[in-house]
Amino acid sequence: MKKPEGPTRRALRMAALTAGVTGSYVGYLAQRAFLGPDARQKKLKAVHTRAARKMTSEMLTLRGPAMKLGQTLSLQAGMLPEEMLSELATLQMSAPGMHPTLARAQFRAALGKTPEELFKSFAPEPFAAASLGQVHRAVTRDGERIAVKIQYPGIRDAVANDFRWFRTVSKGAQLTRHIPGPTLTELEEQILAETDYGREADNLEHFRKRLAPLAFVSVPRVYRKYSADGVLTMELLPGVHLDEFLSSRPPQRLRDLVGARLVELYYFQLLEVEAFHADPHWGNYLFGKDATIGLVDFGCVKYLDPRFVAGLRAMYLYPGDRTGPEFQKLLEQRYALQGQKLAPAAGKALARFAENFYKIVYPPEASRDDQPFDFSDDSAIKSYMRESANLARSRVALPEYLMMARAETGLYATLHRLRARVPMSKIVRRFLPGT
Amino acid sequence: MPRTPPRPASRKRPAAARRPPPGRRALNKQRTRDRIVAAALALFQSKGFEQTTTRAIARRARVAEGTVFNYFETKEDIALHFLELEVGHAIAAVRGNRRLARAPLEEKLFALLESQIVFLAPYERFIGAAFVQALKPASKLGWSRQAAELRLRYLAFVQELIEESLPRGKREHSALAWFGPPAFWVYYLGVLLYWLHDPSAGKQQTLAFIDRSLKFGIAVLRKGGVK
Repeated sequence: MKKPEGPTRRALRMAALTAGVTGSYVGYLAQRAFLGPDARQKKLKAVHTRAARKMTSEMLTLRGPAMKLGQTLSLQAGMLPEEMLSELATLQMSAPGMHPTLARAQFRAALGKTPEELFKSFAPEPFAAASLGQVHRAVTRDGERIAVKIQYPGIRDAVANDFRWFRTVSKGAQLTRHIPGPTLTELEEQILAETDYGREADNLEHFRKRLAPLAFVSVPRVYRKYSADGVLTMELLPGVHLDEFLSSRPPQRLRDLVGARLVELYYFQLLEVEAFHADPHWGNYLFGKDATIGLVDFGCVKYLDPRFVAGLRAMYLYPGDRTGPEFQKLLEQRYALQGQKLAPAAGKALARFAENFYKIVYPPEASRDDQPFDFSDDSAIKSYMRESANLARSRVALPEYLMMARAETGLYATLHRLRARVPMSKIVRRFLPGT
Repeated sequence: MPRTPPRPASRKRPAAARRPPPGRRALNKQRTRDRIVAAALALFQSKGFEQTTTRAIARRARVAEGTVFNYFETKEDIALHFLELEVGHAIAAVRGNRRLARAPLEEKLFALLESQIVFLAPYERFIGAAFVQALKPASKLGWSRQAAELRLRYLAFVQELIEESLPRGKREHSALAWFGPPAFWVYYLGVLLYWLHDPSAGKQQTLAFIDRSLKFGIAVLRKGGVK
């Protein structure tokens, strides 16, 4: 039975959600709704805002990492209308849109020259929204087609201020571990990292090099001389976003192949690169008719401790009983690595997750490798949701889970939208010699 | 290759083309004025407004001290001349950008302020000093006829931008049209102060401040009306 909550705690939680994580973005959203050019637009935004608030208040019943989980939008796939999800996606991580004059001014502030002075051509209107900024098409003087990502000015300070304020107002919640300190730190680091375009350029170069063995994946080249704090210039990748890819009615075979490649890409990153792209937003994937995958926006990347990855290897496709003591021991080791003790409730929730979700989607028996899991049914997503909610209630505070859950929910939601049939265990087994 | 058709005999040439080119004397005067202004600005920026003497300006501009007085009575007149150039530059930047003709008011006003800031950026220290100077009761920068004319010219342009953003029938009753220009003047001074104290790289905080405050201010004034 749900424990009744006092008004103070409830108010604190609301404040935590609106101000702490989405921080100024919600403020911008409110401003945008207020300033919309016409009544219809305003009304639409108001509806979306209400919907988003309803969603987020639901997410508040899940604590700690689940709060962030709740904000990773793909989580709700199959449970909410997609229109609402896409609006929530803009709610989560969008700065106010920049008009062409502001984007140009910000470019000049960062690079000292206007885009017209540096490039052969520059599109004043953006073609995509980026994390806390927007992306413009341009052509270099040498005729190369590029994407110029421009950040909303002063956004880093705004994020840092939000967190400073939130830490102060949420001291009580941190003491009761409803908002675990390490998780808050992880969130702040990740969101600030997303605003650091210099770091993103390093990530792009790292992944471009490390993902080279996967011929079907492309990562854009960085143009350092046209990049600075607040501006990131990259090669413009071919391919279309998921919506457009699906609207061309790709045959089942192609959808299956793309799905399998997405899974391979995820586990290759996790187990071979030991770092992964943790922003599952659909706008960050570009699909080709030949099943190629372009990966953009490396602002949100998680680098893993090799010992943590070794722990994952030991647990993936675990053949025995996952509710038994041996599996619990593996979990304890994983927590001990991070200097944390596995609470009994967390151990139970993790074991339940492994049994009720992973064992079904990733059957450990090699004999079942050729039986693909059918993602057209949304039960897998719902099961994942249910188990992660249960996990969150047990106050699991491993920061790595936060980003892994974000990436994994994005992966499953994409597979569901593709209605792909994917031999999950067969793919994972490639990276687990000896299983 | 098709040839350019000859211009019809009846078509009048534009006024600028009809005007006779400036004589050598006028050209020399203009060059001397520009040299004096450039020298003064460099000194205002490096030495400070108060510390700069007309003698130092003359020396740097390579003219006699008396020549400086032929063009400008005081240092403040030089500063005013610079501000006139700044306003002229900003108005031309907004009007010269064809894309802005269809842009919303917020963007036009942003473009106006941004071009002013870009123009002023190399002389930040001087602008800080001029700001303080303009507050003194006897200052020409704040209280002279020329300063008032410059302010009126600037605000007339702001009024023009506001009015062209309003539907024809609503101009007379709009709070934006009534209170926009005087409010904008106070706001502009606030932006200058913010910019002078902005430590962020590329003055990004100022850009964000202008963007958000303009949107908010215009929205508030749009909601209001005069019966």
